[in-house]
Amino acid sequence: MILEELAFAALAATAVLTAIAALLVRELVHTILWIAIFFVDLAAIYFLLDAPFLGVLQLGVYAGAVTILLLFGIMTTRKRIFSREAATGIGPVPFGLAVVTFIFLVAAIGEFPQGSGTITIYDPSALSANLFNVNGPWLLLLGLIMLAAVTGAIYLVREGRE
Amino acid sequence: MDIGSFAGPFLPEIFLLAGALLVFLLDVLNVRRNEVVGAIAVVTTALALLFVVADLGFAPFAGLATIPAGAIDATPSGAPLYTFTSLGLVFQGVFLAAAFLVSLASLSRPSEERGAPIFYGLLLIATLGMVLVAIASDLIFLLLAIEVSSIATYLLVAYTRRDSRSLEAAMKFYIIGALSTVLSFFGASLLYGAYGTTNLVAIAHVAGTVGYPVLVLLGYGFLIAGLAFKATLVPFHAWAVDVYDGAPTDVSSFLAGGSKKVGIFAFFLVFLAPILYVRTAPSGGPFTTGTVALGPVLQLTLSVVAVLTMTVGNVLALLQKEMKRMLAYSSISQAGYMMIGIAVGTAPALAGATLQVFAHVFMKGGAFLVVAGVSALGVGPLIEDWRGLGTRKPVLGVAFGLMLLSLAGVPLTVGFVSKFVLFSAAVDARGYFVWLAVAGLLNSALSVFYYARVLKIMFFDAPIPRAQPTGAVVGGSEPARLPAGGLGYGRAMAIGIAVAVIVAAGIYPQLVLGPIQNAAQHFVNLGI
Amino acid sequence: MTSLAEIGFVALSSALLAIGLFGILTRRNFILLLIAIEIAMNAAILNFIYFAAFSSGTAGLTGQAIAVVVIGFAATEVAVGLGIVLALNRVKGTINVARATELKL
Repeated sequence: MILEELAFAALAATAVLTAIAALLVRELVHTILWIAIFFVDLAAIYFLLDAPFLGVLQLGVYAGAVTILLLFGIMTTRKRIFSREAATGIGPVPFGLAVVTFIFLVAAIGEFPQGSGTITIYDPSALSANLFNVNGPWLLLLGLIMLAAVTGAIYLVREGRE
Repeated sequence: MDIGSFAGPFLPEIFLLAGALLVFLLDVLNVRRNEVVGAIAVVTTALALLFVVADLGFAPFAGLATIPAGAIDATPSGAPLYTFTSLGLVFQGVFLAAAFLVSLASLSRPSEERGAPIFYGLLLIATLGMVLVAIASDLIFLLLAIEVSSIATYLLVAYTRRDSRSLEAAMKFYIIGALSTVLSFFGASLLYGAYGTTNLVAIAHVAGTVGYPVLVLLGYGFLIAGLAFKATLVPFHAWAVDVYDGAPTDVSSFLAGGSKKVGIFAFFLVFLAPILYVRTAPSGGPFTTGTVALGPVLQLTLSVVAVLTMTVGNVLALLQKEMKRMLAYSSISQAGYMMIGIAVGTAPALAGATLQVFAHVFMKGGAFLVVAGVSALGVGPLIEDWRGLGTRKPVLGVAFGLMLLSLAGVPLTVGFVSKFVLFSAAVDARGYFVWLAVAGLLNSALSVFYYARVLKIMFFDAPIPRAQPTGAVVGGSEPARLPAGGLGYGRAMAIGIAVAVIVAAGIYPQLVLGPIQNAAQHFVNLGI
Repeated sequence: MTSLAEIGFVALSSALLAIGLFGILTRRNFILLLIAIEIAMNAAILNFIYFAAFSSGTAGLTGQAIAVVVIGFAATEVAVGLGIVLALNRVKGTINVARATELKL
């Protein structure tokens, strides 16, 4: 299955590079561009993993809604859109911390089988049955989170008559 | 459909949700007076508290119990997302008591205050999230329930909307909270990868025999970091002081008295099973074979965190000049005492930690409520500004003094009982846990200094020239003199209840200690 | 029948988490902080999805269900963050975290 391996390598490299670029470029609007590519790239990885429902969800929620929200945030908080405020130094300590985290996590790799594993395909109807029956309370909790978030956030940004 | 048996066990949750929705509905209908929406919050939390106490089986209310007696502390069959344990019910009671005190005290805020409906609505939703945390038996259920309360409290800190200090506190709270969420979910994903499930009951059954020791260790490590932010443990504590300081003081009371206990209970839930069951690794060392001696590793880590937390909190509290920051650091050190309970992991230690959590609601939550009331009387934020307050307002001074004495662990207060139970349980556990008790005792002695300093300033220093009362606690423009010594009836009642509980549970500890010990014993037997 | 090496996914999600943590620690612009948090959150979501793909049955379905819920939750969290920062921007005129210095760090 050399073709899938190649596709995954390309997608993974793109994901890492766009994530780094999003944090390091000097202009915030370019950041949004890179992060949008990052989200789409991850959606492609989910399709590769035979999880089309999650791929579509990733496209809709992250590449669509979150990106637009972030863009909206930038446009309403900055008079000049092309801000240079984004750039700050890298700093040795955070960089070292990030590298250490990465090494620790890669240490876990030794526990995984070295060969290729078969990917299970799940029926979306089975997924929805799981999500709405067995694990229904998770969705209820998500609903509560959204209730708090919507009422509070609307209150915060609403222009008061004061 | 038998609605009674289906909805009955969730009566407290239903009350809280209905109360929150009712408050939001009144907001839309332009009914925004503080007393009206506040009364709904008070009644809702009181009713929910009543049913939780009934479910715990306290004599006068036992007839109201809605959870079938056999369903509490029953060994879960299969892998349920939630289960009723008596320790969980105790924590539900603690959370509801914190919310009840804060909403009762908030009744005394100016009735024209902006944002009152959003304050009480979010307070009820945050409480609902906390109450759900207490019945979780699944990692994702637990983390999502924590997020319900977290999201609501970020917005609660910001509810004054025009006050840049509290907005900044909200922003810091949000960033740190989001970071801790990411770490918790990443840890949960690693545990899911290792165990193939996120159910805490199922994990407890397979914990000893899993094939991915590094993955499991990393997963628990990320969970410790993520939950430590919520429970304000060193080295993840720095945000708490800024947030408690910048938030409106009534909200600080809720954060310190209620919502950080969510992190403590999450530690109980997640870490008790591995500590109890995964005691030994097969020969060949912890990493070479398929399993890891997780329990001792976790106990050592949590012990170190506990000692660091109480020491750093107490030392920094000594150096503070502002009342709210001093209370915030002392709150961090109290979280260190509570962590002794889970680090030791025996039933008496868990009982001691739970009693400490119970006491902390009334000591620290009550102290923040006093600070809010006193600042409405025109007293400044510095400890020095409290000079002579004890002689000027003797009743309030004695109440605050009792709270501080209880925080310091002076006999005849509940703070003494909880520390006594906790430290003696640590000594009984032998091994290096004895040193946890020693560290706790030394820290208690250290903490007496800064509490005594406040008492000296309040009662023995000459009063400052009488300041003009400036009125409202936050925002608002109502300078009117409030009844009950300038505090307002609601706040005075809340403070009175807190003091009554501190003294009653201090003089007659069996009142609460018995049920809590019982609950902790059941929790350890159940071992999820 | 697709088959892939599991190792690559572990490395990718570790790298994304490391990048996200690095961003959270170094960036001072609120929007960049949000983006760094989302990158790290995506590492967790990717974990759930690939662990699900390499297991089977109920265990795998649970992983995908968790991923659905976490994606929804993460988007909500971004909205809350933007709400707070818009309110702060209206009061103070900056979204730079380091410049918001009324509280001691």
